[in-house]
Amino acid sequence: MRTSLVIATLGVLAAPASAETFRWAGQTDPNTMDPHAGNSAPVLGFLNNVYEGLVRRDRNMAIEPALATEWEPLEDGAGWRFHLREGVTFHDGADFTADDVIFSYERASSAEADTASWFAGVTEVTAPDEYTVEIRTDAPNPIFPDSIANWMMMDRGWAEANNATRPNIEQGSYATLNTNGTGAYRITEREPALRTVLAPFEEWWGDDRGNVTEGIFTPIENSATGVAALLSGEVDMIEPVPVQDAERIDNAEGVDLQRGVEARVMMYGFSQDKDSLVGGDGVEGNPFQDPLVRQAVAHAINVDAIRQTIMRGSAEPTAQLVSAAMRGYSEGLSERPAYDPERARELLAEAGYEDGFSFLLKCPNDRYINDESVCQATVSMLAQVGLDAQLDAIPVRNYWPELRADEYDMYFLGWSPGTFDAEHPFRFLVHTPQENIGTWNFGGYSNPRVDELIPAIQSEIDESARQEMLDEIAGIVQDEMVYVPLYVQPLLWGTAENIELTQREDNFFILRWVTVN
Amino acid sequence: MSELQTEIETKAKTSPGRLARAWDSDLAYSFRNNPVAMVSAFVVSLLILAAIFAPLIAPHDPFNPATLNLMNGFTPPGQANQFTQEYFLLGTDDQGRDVFSTILYGMRISLFVGFAAVMLALVIGVLLGLLAGYLGGWVETIIMRIADIQLTFPAILVAMLIFGIAKGITPPEYRDQMAIWVLILAIGLSDWVQFARVVRGATLVEKNREYVQAARLIGRSPFSIMVRHILPNVLNPVLVIATISLALAIIAEATLSFLGVGAPPTKPSLGTLIRIGQEFMFSGEWWILFFPAVTLLALALSINLLGDWLRDALNPKLR
Repeated sequence: MRTSLVIATLGVLAAPASAETFRWAGQTDPNTMDPHAGNSAPVLGFLNNVYEGLVRRDRNMAIEPALATEWEPLEDGAGWRFHLREGVTFHDGADFTADDVIFSYERASSAEADTASWFAGVTEVTAPDEYTVEIRTDAPNPIFPDSIANWMMMDRGWAEANNATRPNIEQGSYATLNTNGTGAYRITEREPALRTVLAPFEEWWGDDRGNVTEGIFTPIENSATGVAALLSGEVDMIEPVPVQDAERIDNAEGVDLQRGVEARVMMYGFSQDKDSLVGGDGVEGNPFQDPLVRQAVAHAINVDAIRQTIMRGSAEPTAQLVSAAMRGYSEGLSERPAYDPERARELLAEAGYEDGFSFLLKCPNDRYINDESVCQATVSMLAQVGLDAQLDAIPVRNYWPELRADEYDMYFLGWSPGTFDAEHPFRFLVHTPQENIGTWNFGGYSNPRVDELIPAIQSEIDESARQEMLDEIAGIVQDEMVYVPLYVQPLLWGTAENIELTQREDNFFILRWVTVN
Repeated sequence: MSELQTEIETKAKTSPGRLARAWDSDLAYSFRNNPVAMVSAFVVSLLILAAIFAPLIAPHDPFNPATLNLMNGFTPPGQANQFTQEYFLLGTDDQGRDVFSTILYGMRISLFVGFAAVMLALVIGVLLGLLAGYLGGWVETIIMRIADIQLTFPAILVAMLIFGIAKGITPPEYRDQMAIWVLILAIGLSDWVQFARVVRGATLVEKNREYVQAARLIGRSPFSIMVRHILPNVLNPVLVIATISLALAIIAEATLSFLGVGAPPTKPSLGTLIRIGQEFMFSGEWWILFFPAVTLLALALSINLLGDWLRDALNPKLR
């Protein structure tokens, strides 16, 4: 009797001590909860807590087993065989089997999905038995397992029951607001743009999980408001910390600054397949089709001034679409076009635009670090060489739709290669846009040589031959100035001092690595 | 009952204008003996003159992006920039724009939007108020019910709605140029109800007066009676409301711009400047926020005080 009373008392005491609520704020609310409807870091990063892929990335970005325990290349041809983890269940209790992998492939590679380019070389996915999957590709693809860490598994039965067998980016489907993954956390409440609440999934197969029993995510668009929320203890973590406040958070009592280098390269893209400008004034045709004009823009932008003032010294100027830390970076092409307004004017004159022209510059104002400030500074730098940029800075929820609707002449973009490989941006941003490749090449740049090299790179096993082809594309991109790369964004998070977490280089926030002390 | 009271009050406020000249001197006397009114009038005229002559006073042209140097960014007031060694009276913002010049130019936008929006609200409100008060019947019912419905929404919400629709139908490349006109439309349309209600009340009182009956008897058209006879006699309260509305409209413009739906950052108004400035509140660059905010405060407060004085001075009960 007495013993049971003691145990009961202990139980009561133990319960509140183990309840750890963790509140965090990000600048961008994931615009969908459908893992196949948004190939963007806010969506994929958030959903990595809820859904899982066959493989996942560990704290150092290396690939490790997740829903597949091991994998090997197919003996009889090109492709990979994955052995699935047994005894995994979805949040609704359904078993995870090979059939769900096939379904997730069909769904994620469908024309309606935003993730189709991940499967460009895949020809067939079959299941020899319930816990084995074979993925065939049209050519050997040595980095395939590296490229599918964000391909998340969805239950066929759940999707069919809720009429969500295909993602719907425009109108949304049941899966846009509801989730059913296998991940360490499940979503208990979802109010878009307001708050999202997560609770641990008790049946989760893994054990690498911190002590958070309730996670509450709130998007805070305004960076100063976010800093105030962190300093007042309203939230336990914010990302990103605005560069101008990094020093203050570093020195403040009770909060810590987590600093790293993000893989994200900021750049300007151009409309290249349209015959006229949307915001064109005093000009016939589309000047941005001329590489000379794009080079002029590159010479007109003073990246170093942006780094020193707006980015407060914490940004790394770059000459390529990936940062130097990525695999396949072209060492020989690391020189940026110098800031040289005179040269820019000459190039414009050479292209026949000595009087300049006006055009529409589109920017997000709540997606990247100080995005609107950088765009505004660009407007004045371009004005100094005679180009009249009309700036339209809008929230990111309208930004991608307007880019897809071609309502821009020049635009601001940040790209973080999901595979940590230089081939990634080429596939998404430089390849001629097609159904499942070149899907983020809004400007419609097209070069047959690039299109020929990309599949060859994907199937090349020899490292130096692969690098040679990567260098060739990087050279073409630089010569024709397909994009104007600016700088690598810094990775700055602010946390309360009782929080331990891991900051991954792709800026994905992984809730199960959080420990509240 | 209470409506009757309001009518009587309104009537009192709108005593006949036959003593216009005497009124003038009364007003002048009241002004001379009211230090608050004098100081306010001084501040308002100073700011308005500064705004009008901004191109002559301002050392830089902040609206011309070609003249900006990013390396001047974040220069503190009265100190030399660490890279360019240039001085700026009130410092610079993140783009290297001179804060003093930007305030002068920003005030032009704020004042222009304020005046234009009040004029729009005044014209719509007075016209609808006259119609409702004089014609009565279903015209009155429709106009005043619309006014009541609109009153249940906060004015800023109505303005944001109008702004949203207008922005939606404007092609993106014209959004920057259109922003100011859309602001005027949005604030003007959200603010006409005040005028309509007061003018209707006053008109109800005036329309039964002998001079109106006389005009009707000699066969004047309703329109001519409204404009020629009633309008001049209901203008006093309109003047008071217009003054206070001006302060409110300037604040509304600042609010919309602060929320990021108003004047664009390349052509900032005072509200846009405050929005830009508050991003640097925690990082020590206080001047980007402080000076525009103080200017807005001075402008709105002195117009408000002037409005208060005008209301008291024009109210015969308080004399």
